[in-house]
Amino acid sequence: MKDISLNIRDNEFLVLLGPSGCGKTTTMRMIAGLEEPSEGDIYIGEKRVNDELPKDRDVAMVFQNYGLYPHMSVYENIRYPLKVRKVPKLQHEDLVRKTAGKVEIENLLNRRPRELSGGQRQRVALARAIVRAPTVFLMDEPLSNLDAKLRVSMRAELKHLQHELRITTIYVTHDQIEAMTLAHRVAVMDNGIISQLDVPETIYNDPANLFVAGFIGSPPMNLLKGDLKEGIFKHSNFSVGVGFGECQEAILGVRPEDLELTGPDNTDCSGRVYSFELTGESTLVTVKLDDDRLTIRGPKEYRVSIDEIVGVRINREKCYLFDAVSQNRIMN
Amino acid sequence: MVKGSKNKFLDFLQILVILLTAVFILVPIYWIVSGAFKQQVDIFQLKLLFTPTLENFEIIFRSPYNLFDKLVNSTLVALSTILIAIPIATMAAYSFSRFRMKGERLMFVTILATQFVPAVVIVLPFFILFRDLGILDTRLALVLVNLSLVMPFAIWMIKGFIDSIPLDSEEAALVDGSSRFQVILNVTLPMALPGVITAGIFCFILAWNEFLFALIITTNKAVTLPVGLSLFHAEEGVLWHLISAAGIMIMLPMFVLATIIQKHFVQGMTMGAVR
Repeated sequence: MKDISLNIRDNEFLVLLGPSGCGKTTTMRMIAGLEEPSEGDIYIGEKRVNDELPKDRDVAMVFQNYGLYPHMSVYENIRYPLKVRKVPKLQHEDLVRKTAGKVEIENLLNRRPRELSGGQRQRVALARAIVRAPTVFLMDEPLSNLDAKLRVSMRAELKHLQHELRITTIYVTHDQIEAMTLAHRVAVMDNGIISQLDVPETIYNDPANLFVAGFIGSPPMNLLKGDLKEGIFKHSNFSVGVGFGECQEAILGVRPEDLELTGPDNTDCSGRVYSFELTGESTLVTVKLDDDRLTIRGPKEYRVSIDEIVGVRINREKCYLFDAVSQNRIMN
Repeated sequence: MVKGSKNKFLDFLQILVILLTAVFILVPIYWIVSGAFKQQVDIFQLKLLFTPTLENFEIIFRSPYNLFDKLVNSTLVALSTILIAIPIATMAAYSFSRFRMKGERLMFVTILATQFVPAVVIVLPFFILFRDLGILDTRLALVLVNLSLVMPFAIWMIKGFIDSIPLDSEEAALVDGSSRFQVILNVTLPMALPGVITAGIFCFILAWNEFLFALIITTNKAVTLPVGLSLFHAEEGVLWHLISAAGIMIMLPMFVLATIIQKHFVQGMTMGAVR
């Protein structure tokens, strides 16, 4: 981790997003007190917590592998934080049942974790975290072990739960869709630094650098190498006037939905179709331009065969330019 | 058809090997069990039919053999050994498994290395030490010796079990509000219990069967069962019928423990982590 400065607002849902090994989990573990920062301060509220043990930080955490206690029943699992935090025994049953109700596992309380499905285990882990109201809620890739369909529904539930409980939440994920859908703000991390911290919309529409541009979006933004002279970007296959900028080694970024398929003549560039994919709500066409490939999102009725020559029109308003050396965005 | 007969032949071969191995292991046990119920005159005869007698068991518990005293000694020594060794070894194993410290590897290897020293080499220093402390021929001396024998083994074995427990549950417990000690007590120990029990039983067996140190350190009061076996000789030679009877008394607890250990081994393998 290098020089990280992050200010998380009260009741905010902040997502730390990045590829594996970028330092997002380490950041979260330092907040939880499971890892010690070599320097710098961590504050929760007004309190500096660097020297506090995890138990004294008043945080709750949901782990990627759930971290359930396999030798305890679901009821005992959820009750555990109450027990060790010396919450009066009389309140336990009521609190556990109420929490179990919130995540819809009231009927599983007597089971052992190994008798549950992945989704159910995740709910138990959630219930254990919310059974007492912590100041901060930490979630380390909580949905990554679930199947695709369950992930979508749990995502919505998490968002609803956070809205309902109004607890500051820090959520770690490498899945940009999770980040975009859940977060109030996203911190995109790369190599131990925060590349960009902003609301999801800005992260998508206004990436600060090449890394963020390439990481966010599915399929990812097309990135083409070339040079930029007097506002004209020159690729080996085509050139396009973008109206500003000057750079020896530039990269043109354009999202698949900002490209339009046309006939091979009178267009910005043309190439052979490399692959054609149907996704249901749209089509994805990959076109080979010399050594590069360009992915274009087309209308769902669009049909083309492989090796056919097509033209591509670039929406100049939606082009991003980056300096290939510094990786920074070239702004107008 | 050809394939079928080949398979049958392999099956037959497999069963044959299993049977031969079983015979190899079971014949000595059969010999001891049958010997324990034979009269001295029958002991060297290989006849399968003989008049069984319980007389041997009566003799070994009477004077001068007094096997009961030795049984008590063995039981107390082995039990005290594991009651002291297992809690300490568990804590040591936890530290080795979970905390990173300077010279940790060296420390662990050193602890294991004590196991490589042949017992014969250290039996004399132990004898002198205990003589100077005035605890020769006491159960305390045996417990101390056994502790030095089983502890490294127990630490190594329990560490393996703790290593296989995922950190997630422990970290969850830390964040949930437990102190480190509560984590060990409420989370790690219950999850490592099959391993701890297995280690305990293995250590019990080691202490129960320990012969060399007991032979040198004890003379009369603290003699254990394995040493007691060596008492069974007389003018007419080695008293195999009595040794067999005493041998059964030594083996019996081991059979019971082996049954328990088997159950826990299976449990230890199936409990696993929750993913």
